Amino acid sequence: MSGSPEKLKTLPPENPVLVRLENVTKSFGSFQALDQVSLEILKGDIVGLLGPNGAGKTTAMRILSGYFPPTSGKVWIAGQDMSGQPEKVKKHVGYLPETVHLYGDMSVMEFLDFAVKVKGVPAAERSKRIEEILFQCGIWEVRRRLIGQLSKGYKQRVGFAQALAGDPEVLVLDEPTTGLDPEQIHKIRMLIRELGRTRTVLISTHILPEVSMVCDRVLIMNEGRVLADGSVEELAAGLVERQEVLLTTGDSTDGEILKMLERVTGIDQIHIQSTKAGKTTLKLVVSAGAEIGPVLTRLFVEKNIPLYELRISRLSLEEIFLRLVVQENPPAVAL
Amino acid sequence: MKALFLARKDISSFFHSWLGVLVYSLFIVMTGAFFFLLLSGYQRLSLEIARGSVPDIQHVSLTQFIFGAFFMNLGTLFTLLVPILSMRAFSEEHKHQTLELLFTYPLSDYDIVAGKFAGLVWFLFLLILPSAGYIGFLHWTGVRLDWGMLAAGYAGLLMLGASYLALGLFVSALTDNPVVTAMMTFGALIVLNGLDWISSSLEGPLAHLVQFFSPLGHFRDFTLGVIDLGHLLYFLFFCLYFLFLTLRVIETRNWKG
Ligand SMILES: Nc1ncnc2c1ncn2[C@@H]1O[C@H](COP(=O)(O)OP(=O)(O)OP(=O)(O)O)[C@@H](O)[C@H]1O
Ligand SMILES: [Mg+2]
Repeated sequence: MSGSPEKLKTLPPENPVLVRLENVTKSFGSFQALDQVSLEILKGDIVGLLGPNGAGKTTAMRILSGYFPPTSGKVWIAGQDMSGQPEKVKKHVGYLPETVHLYGDMSVMEFLDFAVKVKGVPAAERSKRIEEILFQCGIWEVRRRLIGQLSKGYKQRVGFAQALAGDPEVLVLDEPTTGLDPEQIHKIRMLIRELGRTRTVLISTHILPEVSMVCDRVLIMNEGRVLADGSVEELAAGLVERQEVLLTTGDSTDGEILKMLERVTGIDQIHIQSTKAGKTTLKLVVSAGAEIGPVLTRLFVEKNIPLYELRISRLSLEEIFLRLVVQENPPAVAL
Repeated sequence: MKALFLARKDISSFFHSWLGVLVYSLFIVMTGAFFFLLLSGYQRLSLEIARGSVPDIQHVSLTQFIFGAFFMNLGTLFTLLVPILSMRAFSEEHKHQTLELLFTYPLSDYDIVAGKFAGLVWFLFLLILPSAGYIGFLHWTGVRLDWGMLAAGYAGLLMLGASYLALGLFVSALTDNPVVTAMMTFGALIVLNGLDWISSSLEGPLAHLVQFFSPLGHFRDFTLGVIDLGHLLYFLFFCLYFLFLTLRVIETRNWKG
């Protein structure tokens, strides 16, 4: 979300937007798992999706993978709208689910053969492709074994291999390192970095150090919303911390109000949320540090514009960080 | 095309499983038993006719005597067989949570339903294929066969089987428990078989109406060597109806997985 349009202008054309979500909402019954999520991911980015349990990471990734459609909003992958013919768009995405469930009664080779076929790899390139991903994911030695008999780590690698089967431009990896031993975690991270050299990667995690090790850019999610977006350093410095301001004012003057607000320092984004019964509700995103409350009230009083409501909520990352796994190897509990 | 890859995966995984091998072997043994019982029955009958103890019924040809009953028996056996085949289709993937990946592959929902259905029908075809060996055997012994009737019989078996499988596929999309799927499908097929029996105990237009909905009623004409457009349409609509319902179930997949 934040400020990507500006970023876009300055980027060379060879860095196109590969993933784009616009106001994506996903509801399960009355529960909103995703709430108006908008974001853009550029070609070649390795983006970490960071958030505590229930933040909506898996839901967002399932939408990107084409598992289910959003309740509302739009999704583009490689410039193609996902709502039309998802099976065309899915070709561009390789997906590793949070818990990898594979066909246990197939051998690794048989399964990958199925994957490359369904993912539309031309017949002449199939065996070469399978060989490539077998090596890349380090599963050449187990290629004839039944998947059901492999260890968790190897199953995870087979999961990686199937994600790569169609040579996708976008990789969506949902918590790719959970449940692995430290050595395998290390190997998987190396693999992700390597894959990220030629592809766009979105990985979800709730392990903070993993993000700084693997990703160029971080999105922080909580309760179905993206709260922050920036580089790892920016996040660490708290630069991307924000405040959200909801203000309700008179309708007739809104053009003037917008111009006026644009001039206030600290306000990054202005959205018109609703206009009804002569009142306009605006949503402002304000960078941290700015004491925006007094500034706004003073401004409205000076210009004599009615201000019906002003609500400031701090999108504090601190709280969220507290709920993330900050340390990689928590000290063993003494018994 | 992609649907066929899915069909092939399903068939090969069925042959990989002990259940698949067991079902296949049992089916071959049972069809063999049917055939040889019918064959010896026919021999006894011919002997009696030759001795003059039974009046010669000219119109009962060997093809009719043996294969008419053979096809009918197989059709009845499908009631038991189909639930075991179709229970794997979606329920098994659902249970093992492999659908999550499948739904993220570049397949449309239509491809997935078509692939699953094609796999099931294909397997059924492989099941009834060996019985053609008996025909070859009879032909080799020099018996005159009514080829038209045989072709109609096999066409009927495939139509009946495909219809049952479409119903089974729909049921298997509804639950994630293969055993429940098999039981529900079996129950539904028993009810469908029952229609044939009910209609024979009724009279007048009501009997006709019930008979119209009975798959076995439509199938019987095939075993007599009759291929009728009405019967073909009945089975076609039967399949399409349940495939359509399956597609509907698959489309709403907010499963947590
Ligand atoms: N199919 C579903 N039906 C109902 N609620 C769902 C469904 N899928 C997800 N949810 C709910 O949506 C919210 C977000 O879930 P999601 O799995 O996306 O979280 P997450 O960020 O991946 O969490 P975790 O770190 O635990 O994996 C949760 O509260 C979850 O219970
Ligand atoms: Mg998750």
